[in-house]
Amino acid sequence: MVRWESVSGYIQIHRRDVMYLALLVLILLLPLIVDSISTELTEFPEAWDIHLREPLDDFQRWTIRNRLTHPLFTWFFDPLSDAVDFSIRQIESVLLWLPWPVVVLTAFLLGQRAVGLRVALFSAFAMLFMGFMGLWDEGMLTLALMAVSVIIALLIGIPLGIMAARSDRFEAGLRPLLDVMQTLPAFVYLIPVLLFFGIARVPSVIATVIYALPPAIRLTNLGIRQVSPAAVEAARAFGSTGRQTLFKVQIPLALPTIIAGVNQTIMMAFGIVVIAALIGAGGLGNEVLIALQKQQVGRGFIAGMAIVFMAILLDRVSYGFSQQQTVSNAQHSHGFHLLPNSWDRFAVVRVFEQGVDLLLTSCARLSQAIAAGVATLVSAIGAAVGKREAVRDVANFLQGHAFLVSSVLLISGLLILHAFAPYGEEFPKAWVFDLGQPVDVGVEWMRDNIYQIGDTSIGTGPLSDFLLIYTLNPIRAFLQDWLSWPLVILGFAVIAYSVGGWRLAIFSAAGLFAVGLMGLWEDSMNTLSQVIVAVFITVLIAIPLGVLSARNDTVEAFLKPILDTLQTIPFFVYLIPVIILFNVGRIPGIMASVLYALPPGIRLTNLGIRQISNETMEAARAFGSTPRQTLFKVQLPLALPAIALGVNQVIMMVLAMVVVAGLVGGGGLGLLAVKGLANPMRDLGRGIEAGIAIVLIAMILDRITQTWAKNREIKGHH
Amino acid sequence: MATSESNFKVSCRKIWKIFGPHPEQVKQALKPDMSRAEILEQTGHVVAVKNVSFGVRAGETFVVMGLSGSGKSTLVRCISRLIEPTSGQIIIEGEDVTAMSEERLRLLRRRKMSMVFQHFGLFPHRKVIDNVAYGLEIQGVDRNTRFERARNVLKMVSLTGWENHYPGELSGGMQQRVGIARALAVDPEILFFDEPFSALDPLIRREMQDELLNLQKVMQKTIIFITHDFLEAVKLGDDIAIMKDGEIVQVGTPDQVILNPANDYVREFTKDVPRSRVLSARAIMKPCDVVCSENDSPEQVQSQLQTYLSPIAFVNSENGRFLGILSRAQVDRAVPTVNHTVRPLVHDNQPTVSPHTFLSDLLSIVAATDLPVPVVDSSRKLLGSVDRTAVIMALGGAVDSS
Ligand SMILES: Nc1ncnc2c1ncn2[C@@H]1O[C@H](COP(=O)(O)OP(=O)(O)O)[C@@H](O)[C@H]1O
Ligand SMILES: [Mg+2]
Repeated sequence: MVRWESVSGYIQIHRRDVMYLALLVLILLLPLIVDSISTELTEFPEAWDIHLREPLDDFQRWTIRNRLTHPLFTWFFDPLSDAVDFSIRQIESVLLWLPWPVVVLTAFLLGQRAVGLRVALFSAFAMLFMGFMGLWDEGMLTLALMAVSVIIALLIGIPLGIMAARSDRFEAGLRPLLDVMQTLPAFVYLIPVLLFFGIARVPSVIATVIYALPPAIRLTNLGIRQVSPAAVEAARAFGSTGRQTLFKVQIPLALPTIIAGVNQTIMMAFGIVVIAALIGAGGLGNEVLIALQKQQVGRGFIAGMAIVFMAILLDRVSYGFSQQQTVSNAQHSHGFHLLPNSWDRFAVVRVFEQGVDLLLTSCARLSQAIAAGVATLVSAIGAAVGKREAVRDVANFLQGHAFLVSSVLLISGLLILHAFAPYGEEFPKAWVFDLGQPVDVGVEWMRDNIYQIGDTSIGTGPLSDFLLIYTLNPIRAFLQDWLSWPLVILGFAVIAYSVGGWRLAIFSAAGLFAVGLMGLWEDSMNTLSQVIVAVFITVLIAIPLGVLSARNDTVEAFLKPILDTLQTIPFFVYLIPVIILFNVGRIPGIMASVLYALPPGIRLTNLGIRQISNETMEAARAFGSTPRQTLFKVQLPLALPAIALGVNQVIMMVLAMVVVAGLVGGGGLGLLAVKGLANPMRDLGRGIEAGIAIVLIAMILDRITQTWAKNREIKGHH
Repeated sequence: MATSESNFKVSCRKIWKIFGPHPEQVKQALKPDMSRAEILEQTGHVVAVKNVSFGVRAGETFVVMGLSGSGKSTLVRCISRLIEPTSGQIIIEGEDVTAMSEERLRLLRRRKMSMVFQHFGLFPHRKVIDNVAYGLEIQGVDRNTRFERARNVLKMVSLTGWENHYPGELSGGMQQRVGIARALAVDPEILFFDEPFSALDPLIRREMQDELLNLQKVMQKTIIFITHDFLEAVKLGDDIAIMKDGEIVQVGTPDQVILNPANDYVREFTKDVPRSRVLSARAIMKPCDVVCSENDSPEQVQSQLQTYLSPIAFVNSENGRFLGILSRAQVDRAVPTVNHTVRPLVHDNQPTVSPHTFLSDLLSIVAATDLPVPVVDSSRKLLGSVDRTAVIMALGGAVDSS
């Protein structure tokens, strides 16, 4: 039992808060008092529907009719579209033309260069996996889409980030835009691009670029602004021009952060490239989509695995490069271990490790020798031509980049060989084996046995039913029927007012009202009820786990790789395991949301508690607090700002997932959006309306929880 | 000081720097007796530098000393316009820096002056040699030339062999050597040092101070040196300006400041000064009342001694070099004899001291004699004299202001 005093001390109820609470309770009870009015008000008046979808559909029809003639298309969208399409085609055809062993080798070398042998082996494996599963072509297409999107996003994002760093005003203008962009669920980016670019790859790339742009801009800006003012001042004091300061001091020092931005851009781009299958982008995501639509779980599972492996590959390699940019240029640590260190007690492992070590050092020596040879050659040529000076730098560079030189030589060698004696055109058909079948069998078995274990009421089926009957349906009924729409809006307004004042209250009320005006009240309440249940479950799991991992290093060490992986996986993929376990409907969507949103919840709770200063904790202990007293009187109150931020992130991630769950029968706004994407000729207008509603709800939830989290922080600093 | 403006390499006239959104307005509305805290309270503006004027001669080390927050860094940055002064003029070699275009200012920063920073301000991503060569690099000097120059300067600060390390791999003292080398590499005429040794350990700090003194003997640059350490100021400065709350409260040579602090604020600093090792004979010597030539007759000397009521006379040779001293008794005894001049009476084994002799060394000399000790310069020209009383008074902190 937690005693009331300790709780009240922790929550710090203020008189003002009590007043708002009472007001909310009053609103909840209002239907009891004025029962007759409420039944008539349950449904948002249909007469008020502004039918936004009609002009939208008209506009779409107009764009289709005028695509070939209107200057907006012939002079702007079409050339843009052609250029993007051309780039995708080129990159895809290069990737497909490359003999597959060369692609695998390149992945291996990138992994080796970025991190080390373990990641290199994993990268090679991830590529081979696609081959073995017969997904080679799909994988190359996905990679091509990614590459084009990332390159465009960086080409736009990095310069914008630099500009933002150099002009406070520009940053101030950009910031709210970026804030909103990062609030929106990935899904909604796909809808509007359809209007201008039609269906297929180009709109996917455009949506991906827009979605993945913010981290590139933000982290470039942040990196440059973080450069120590002392270094910038020194540069100025020596008479550097603005450009010299930028290129010689600011950008080099910001590089680790900029590359971290590249890493994030890549991961976000990958997330949406996969889901862009919805608008016909093809590739690996398409396999998942088909599997979801046709209920071929095995097929989706395999594609999902390929996507997960690819995501991990992309993350580890780009993260590895960002870590290497740190300034001190530390040498690679010696004594590399491929297998876990603890296995060293087995003689076989020791011998094996020695072998690996020997191999690695010989490779390093060999590449040094090759680079030195090339450098000498270049110097000799330079001397012969009489440009000794100019060539010396090149030779130095070559000598200093042995790995690069030998890799390039190796790959070019293989390509030249390919020109004379073609090999590896296609991944050998004979090597492909169909894992889908056995997986399907496994899934069948799981469904038969886990859905309901024996005759008991234990299993995913009963759990699902329980959630549906006792949480989801009552909450939806509560929002929709019991409270009726004016009270929901009023309730939100009261909460918003208590957190952030009039502006937030008006924004929230107006936003919800607009949702009603689009005729989406019912669907919105459906979605909202799912969000509430998923957030509740997530928080219920995340906070205790976060507390536990903050108080126990073993738990933290155990959770870290799991959370890392969960955060790397594109959210689309989460839908596969949950439909295996929970079939289709609203529950799998909620489960996927919980999985997806758990990591930030756990991480921020853990972080919030761990970052409490040692001195504070010692003081608590010095006064003889029990661990529980320390937790409730010191740790949780001090960690509250971080936890509040965690809740904010959980809500946003849950929302993003719940709408995608429209694909697996989640219903609500997500379903309308999916329909709009699947059949734009008929349902795009409705889809866009749903997209707008999602955006509005996302912004309202984000503003309220964000402001609330910020309030905690200010109080925490008193 | 009577030196005219044009003799100064750098001079500042009425510099103001007010931080805040409306510095001009605040400056206009300022009442002279308002304290900095009051201004901050009432207007939200910080008066970092308040009506500061001074001049620095070529080859001089001018130290600006004051507690943390007194506006030293702001002042020195105003001179190179790293911070734009609110008002006032900065004249460098007759040219008004405040009126310069960006272009001209950049040229000035590239060629004429450079700066050493408190926290070194090194570029962590560049090797030592690239740090040192930075100033030349941005001027477009080719690689070989600038590296050669950088190696030379690194040698001057004894960092040969560290060219290819990164600053992060060096100790604090070594990093600041890189900072100094970087400033010297462009061969500037004017050097700004903003508390360059504050971040270093005391031992290293002393070592660096000595090295700077040695370097300066050779270089003869014009140096503006900021410190919050009064001892450092005394050790390095030809002149010291003491700042408080943005204003200069006293300017003078170290000896002047120690012996005649302008107010309690300054006196507080001088308290901790080990006077015996800071004050020199020059600071406490008094002019000699009776100075005569070796060719004077004893009668002439006697009458002078009587006029001045002085116990001794200082005797110079014909060509103005100091010979020795005569006591009144000696002169009195010599008057009735046949001596035409006082020359034979003077012994040339009289101890003398140089004007730079510190009090600690003077002490044993004045202890051994009841007579005043003559102070002579390197050409044995008589400058004045010190006696036991003056030394003891100066050590005790009392000032004989006569
Ligand atoms: N950019 C700035 N904005 C506002 N106030 C400043 C700024 N820079 C310095 N100050 C204030 O000006 C005063 C003088 O600062 P500074 O020149 O750094 O002092 P010092 O170098 O003597 O320690 C301090 O009170 C400081 O807080
Ligand atoms: Mg300072």
